Amino acid sequence: MAGLAAVFGSGAMTNSIEEIENADCILIIGSNTSVAHPLIATRVFRAKAKGAKVIVADPRRIPIILQSDLHLQQNLGTDVALINGLMHIILKKGWQDQTFIDERTENFEELKKVVEHYSPEKVSEITGISVEDLEKAAEYYAKAERATILYTMGITQHTTGVDNVKSLAHLAMLTGNLGKESTGINPLRGQNNVQGACDMGGLPNVYTGYQAVVDQAVKQKFEEAWGATLSDKIGLTATEMFPAVLNGKMKALVILGENPVVSDADCLHVEKALKALDFLLVIDIFKTPTAEMAHVVLPGAAFAEKEGTFSNTERRVQLLRKAAEPPGEAKPDWQIIQELSSRFGYPMDYASPRAIMEEIAKLTPSYGGITYDRLQGDGLQWPCPNTEHPGTKFLHQGRFTRGKGLFSAIEYKPAAEMADEEYPFQLTTGRVHVHYHTGTMTRNSPSLEREISECFLEMHPEDASELKVGEGDWVMIASRRGSVSSRVKLTDVAGRKTVFMPFHFLESRANILTNPTFDPVAKIPEFKVCAVKIEKMDRSDKSISSPP
Amino acid sequence: MEFKTVLSFCPYCGCGCGLLLEVLDGKIVGTLPSKTSPVNQGKLCIKGWTVHEFITSPNRLTQPMVRQDDALHDSSWDEALHLAATRLKEIKEKHGPDSIGVLTSAKCTNEENYLLQKFTRAALGTNNIDHCARL
Amino acid sequence: MSTKIKEAVRALLTEGKIKGFLGLREEKGNIMPYLFCDPKELDALSLGDWKKPGDTRYPLNQLMIKLAMAYPNETFAVLIRGCDERGLKELFKWKQLDEEKIVLIGLGCPDELAKACECEKPFPDSLIDGPKGEKVDSQKVAQVEGMDLDTRLQFWKAEFNRCIKCFGCRNICPMCFCNECSIEEDQLVGTGEIPPANPTFHLARAIHMVGRCIDCGLCEEACPADIPLRTLYKKVGEIIHQEFGYKTGLSVDEKSPFNIIEVK
Ligand code: SF4
Ligand code: SF4
Ligand code: SF4
Ligand code: SF4
Ligand code: SF4
Repeated sequence: MAGLAAVFGSGAMTNSIEEIENADCILIIGSNTSVAHPLIATRVFRAKAKGAKVIVADPRRIPIILQSDLHLQQNLGTDVALINGLMHIILKKGWQDQTFIDERTENFEELKKVVEHYSPEKVSEITGISVEDLEKAAEYYAKAERATILYTMGITQHTTGVDNVKSLAHLAMLTGNLGKESTGINPLRGQNNVQGACDMGGLPNVYTGYQAVVDQAVKQKFEEAWGATLSDKIGLTATEMFPAVLNGKMKALVILGENPVVSDADCLHVEKALKALDFLLVIDIFKTPTAEMAHVVLPGAAFAEKEGTFSNTERRVQLLRKAAEPPGEAKPDWQIIQELSSRFGYPMDYASPRAIMEEIAKLTPSYGGITYDRLQGDGLQWPCPNTEHPGTKFLHQGRFTRGKGLFSAIEYKPAAEMADEEYPFQLTTGRVHVHYHTGTMTRNSPSLEREISECFLEMHPEDASELKVGEGDWVMIASRRGSVSSRVKLTDVAGRKTVFMPFHFLESRANILTNPTFDPVAKIPEFKVCAVKIEKMDRSDKSISSPP
Repeated sequence: MEFKTVLSFCPYCGCGCGLLLEVLDGKIVGTLPSKTSPVNQGKLCIKGWTVHEFITSPNRLTQPMVRQDDALHDSSWDEALHLAATRLKEIKEKHGPDSIGVLTSAKCTNEENYLLQKFTRAALGTNNIDHCARL
Repeated sequence: MSTKIKEAVRALLTEGKIKGFLGLREEKGNIMPYLFCDPKELDALSLGDWKKPGDTRYPLNQLMIKLAMAYPNETFAVLIRGCDERGLKELFKWKQLDEEKIVLIGLGCPDELAKACECEKPFPDSLIDGPKGEKVDSQKVAQVEGMDLDTRLQFWKAEFNRCIKCFGCRNICPMCFCNECSIEEDQLVGTGEIPPANPTFHLARAIHMVGRCIDCGLCEEACPADIPLRTLYKKVGEIIHQEFGYKTGLSVDEKSPFNIIEVK
């Protein structure tokens, strides 16, 4: 969320899910909404039925384009050029909201200067989108009374991820689409409690509620509350930890409910790092490939077996009720953590998750008014600073967290790894509708496995016929980092020389291929683009039951 | 005999749909969408509809495990927690707090995320904590 | 809140005539299915009204089947509206539930709800409380019927294009009780794609609703794509009525249309 934080001073979905259905224009960019966030797609369907213009910008012909008025099929990794192009057209036609720009933003001139260079012709050249469609998109978005932007990993998982997000924020500010109902810029969170993990300080630079670890006053507050001496040195991000293990600086890892052996870019590298550790502790509900490598594995409870809260993508804190006991000797993770901490020498003794939330509310201004008693109905959307506060439906009304919205100059930079002679295809990764993340939960669900149980590589039929492969044939896909095999699925969902693979499958780990080169600010690897070569494999269909 | 439905929230994507878990005599036997949830208004996607399947999967971990002779073996909580705490303490003493890293989870609750970062910062003494959401 | 229903259930429970009453319970703003086994709990009983009448209806008959499977020898009472009663009649016929072991606690629907449902019979025969409302004719079916064939096909295909294949229509349907469901089978309707085969996926299910769909509307309420499924299945019901004179759920004794096909 570093991109939004730089522009507005805070990073989260600005508006609420229910507001989407009343927008007049929806720009969906880098989000396979009906697959990854189906219940948000519902709101898009409704907006469309009420007459909204829906623009989908995605290199692939994803299902939501069936509901769109315009599909912009930009080349992989050219989002900044696309958005600069749209802003260029808006400024040229005078469609910007000058009052909003004058009153609520700063540094507009700098944006104007850089956008100047992005003529529709030049942008068309870079993105592969026709000038006509660019103009149509700019008009739909800028002329709508209430326009909203929805985006996900398709925007952030690039070396230019932060630039992409900032550009989108600029587009919204330029047209005054912020701080009002049914507008805004809305990152759709991929995992159910990503928002919560961030809100709770599961980040190396902040405590709960984004309070900086380098801020001495904040540090002092937490030292007093926790009775401990705290470090004011910013810690390592996940993507920095694995190299730190390999160069010997990091010796032990504690992993709670994550599976980096499948989820992380260049996961062979991750596997090597985990093997090099002196000590690895994993807490999970399944024996994941990551757990297999641990020295100690502790069995946790699933969401249905404990109390607690989740914060959804619209900042809504919701209360989980316990429905059943965990299996065997498994225990709720909060109990495991407190027992571990006590044995480590830092005693913790919370009676229940409710007691933990009381401490969170005391130390976290944006959660200050959140109590279990108040969460009984619809939950509460933060910021909710005190127990009288009703919660916040949309952010930035009247004023941004940082005061004025900050424009800046952003130039288009190509993806870090472009296709070349040796690796002639561009690979992009993503989800399928029945699976989730590394599949530890969904692949243990028979109904979901029945829908899709095997990895596949989507390939354009013309590329396939050049390689002499047909539907269902096995191919070997290799990048500079490693290789995996998969069956081929012929489809013209994407253009020529662009292939797609879901990342949920251990048998064909797409992330063996992906590029760990990350965005310099947000440190998100470039999952969405890497260069690969593809070769037909010499095995008959029946001779193998699972890929090598 | 007991049959009830318990309000919970979907553990998959960030929409946070409300769902009802059908509980018959202490066992989760099915899922229904919550009609009173403002997010999903009585609807779910295929993942939400099937959450009871993975919860009741026979592959769930039920026992702590520790590594011995290069393989994981079942152990008691006491042994596993003791080993984990001791090893982490040794490593902190020998290599300093920043030699330990923690990955917290976008699938766990707010309270658990809070406790784990508190443990990392107050007990281990490092800010090396992150989660896989950037991923 | 109906005291008549509460008293009827209280009597059944205290007299030991039923093991439990499957109804809805209100708890801090949430309304959820619940099996009342103790008369003391009945204060929390809800009839499924929330923002609008009847907008928190759940497939209680479907849960009843699960309960009856776990406790085949016990007798239970269940909260029913007109459509649920139609459903029970078919479920008895299809041998999914035993008529002897179910006590019906009937609730009539207000006009507002009957209009929204375009309901054939908005009250059960075993009415304990609530109005005995009038039948409402369906205009939605007529609207679609008014389109010429080509427009109609385009209309349905466009609606089905939004389908995210959640299976919610089938999952919530009290009449979808098959152990193996054919619309999940790759050989019949290809798996792994959304939207699913258009219109095969939807027509396959529509055909299965012959003699089954009792027009409760739960499927349409559960559809994340707001597809007018109820209109589709109402039409199925109309055809069966026109061709075979059969009204689904009207009586337990009337033979199902499949029987009639054989006779013809
Ligand atoms: S039911 Fe589907 S849309 Fe709703 S939270 Fe779960 S995964 Fe997301
Ligand atoms: S279908 Fe008829 S009986 Fe059923 S809820 Fe609607 S009005 Fe009532
Ligand atoms: S859709 Fe057809 S096969 Fe599936 S449960 Fe319903 S009636 Fe049975
Ligand atoms: S209306 Fe829908 S849910 Fe109700 S019986 Fe008919 S098909 Fe099933
Ligand atoms: S409920 Fe709607 S979206 Fe879901 S499978 Fe049925 S028709 Fe499709």
